[in-house]
Amino acid sequence: MNHFLEEKAKKTRLEVFKFKTSSGVGHLASSLSCVDVVTSLYYDENVNFDPHKDYLIFSKAHGSPAVYPILADLDFFEVSELEKYCKPGGILKLHSDASIPGCHFVGGSLGNGIGYAAGIALAQKDKKVFVILGDAELYEGSVWETLIFIAHHKLNNIVLVVDRNKYGILGATEEMLKLESIKDKFISFGFDALEIDGHNFDDLRKSLTYTSEKPVAIIAKTIKGKGVSYMEDKYEYHTIIPKSENDIKKGIQELL
Amino acid sequence: MTAQRDIFIQELFEKALLDKNIIFISADMGAPTLDQWKEKLPNQFIAAGISEQNAINVASGLAASGKKVFVYMMASWFARCIEQVRYSCAMANNTITILGNGVALGYAPSGPAHEPNEDIALSRSLLNIEIHSPSNESSTLNLVDLCLNIPKLRYIRLERNYPKQLENVTYQQNEFIKTLFENDVETDKKLTILSSGYMLGRALEVGIKIDKLVKTSVVDISRIKPLDSKVLTEVLSNSTHILTLEEQTLDGGFGSAICEFICDNNLSCNVLRLGLPERYIFENGSRDYLIDANGLSVANIFDSAVKFI
Repeated sequence: MNHFLEEKAKKTRLEVFKFKTSSGVGHLASSLSCVDVVTSLYYDENVNFDPHKDYLIFSKAHGSPAVYPILADLDFFEVSELEKYCKPGGILKLHSDASIPGCHFVGGSLGNGIGYAAGIALAQKDKKVFVILGDAELYEGSVWETLIFIAHHKLNNIVLVVDRNKYGILGATEEMLKLESIKDKFISFGFDALEIDGHNFDDLRKSLTYTSEKPVAIIAKTIKGKGVSYMEDKYEYHTIIPKSENDIKKGIQELL
Repeated sequence: MTAQRDIFIQELFEKALLDKNIIFISADMGAPTLDQWKEKLPNQFIAAGISEQNAINVASGLAASGKKVFVYMMASWFARCIEQVRYSCAMANNTITILGNGVALGYAPSGPAHEPNEDIALSRSLLNIEIHSPSNESSTLNLVDLCLNIPKLRYIRLERNYPKQLENVTYQQNEFIKTLFENDVETDKKLTILSSGYMLGRALEVGIKIDKLVKTSVVDISRIKPLDSKVLTEVLSNSTHILTLEEQTLDGGFGSAICEFICDNNLSCNVLRLGLPERYIFENGSRDYLIDANGLSVANIFDSAVKFI
């Protein structure tokens, strides 16, 4: 199973790298960090997630292009759309929104998708609602308003995944404005919090299938720019997309 | 005189007893009519705490799931969640109703934090939103049916108290522009005072005080966005002088909306906008005292109107 997932993730990362570098827009590093999380969600048969029924809300919507190759692979739209990412006539946008088959809500404003997801989870208890939050998104106060709400209403059909790639635009969160201990914060808000390696499919499976009476927060420790050596853990690459022929070639080689 | 919030919440409660999709969220605002929701409709009542941003976001998710959601807060805190209204509701087309209680100086003497004198400007800059400023019991009651029957993102500006002159006025459903007063003289110049909500009381007093000086009418514009184009064009076309009166600062407010309408529709009339001065009002005093002290006493409005015509 893990080999299958690794292959899917590899293919996804490569596709994301290709359409991001050919368009030159978006947040490539932030998408690469959460590819394994979404791969596990969509492809691991042990994980209870039906993309036709359940919800994945990208609260950190700048990372949402990570899911586009997967949705194309699952026939939500034509594979040819990937080449048209962010181009006139293409349906795939920098931030996913409900106009894209398989996607929900609007994208682009941090700290809000989680509250929308809480409303969905409260009204549709028969559905599972997965939310991907950025770690730097946790600076938004509205996130914590919603955590109180989710815990009080015991919304255990919602699963929060924090893409803990450690960086915001200006640098490392722990140097800019300390976020740790994220785990303790979630626990103190009434969650079961699991800290995992966000690139390990055993860890992902265990956490994404974890059940509890309490709502669950998974802190997925990830690498920003995962898979491209010169991008990994370099905060400068938050908004920069490789442009030179050499960089692009090297990136593709490493992701093959 | 029953407060507008209780008129709305009571009527909505009656409807909610028969429709489990009606959900009421309070951002820690109370009302005498709200207690029964907690007791009799606990599954349709959500206490969101003092968290307007989360309340709006959760409401958007509930609306996306087919619920008819009403979020109740102090009108001042509409400013607190503008991004959530814009992003999660207006942009995502999630239709909810926001009940903002205590508009303008309604909470005097609580100080400027509690007295939004720019919420019309803030709300009308958003897309896909309707803004209502009901003036009495009848116009408030009509809004319950409107919200339930025609889903739309709405901001309803509830008055804590309303003008006694309007107590017995009846509004028809969808009557968003209503002539409340007209004197019986004929003059070349025709003055129309446009206002909404609490300020209509003063507008009516000014209309009476003008007596036979000039042909005058007082018109309530209760739906501020979108303006009822057909009726407003008629009203404006029959006037030479338009006086807009609002308990808001002028930039982007009620008078601005009227000026934009005149401009966009190539109408020709003289306009005088009267509103609150551009400052936050920290002084003590009742609502009427503060309105008077800030240039909008009946005598001041009358004098301005006379000079204007």
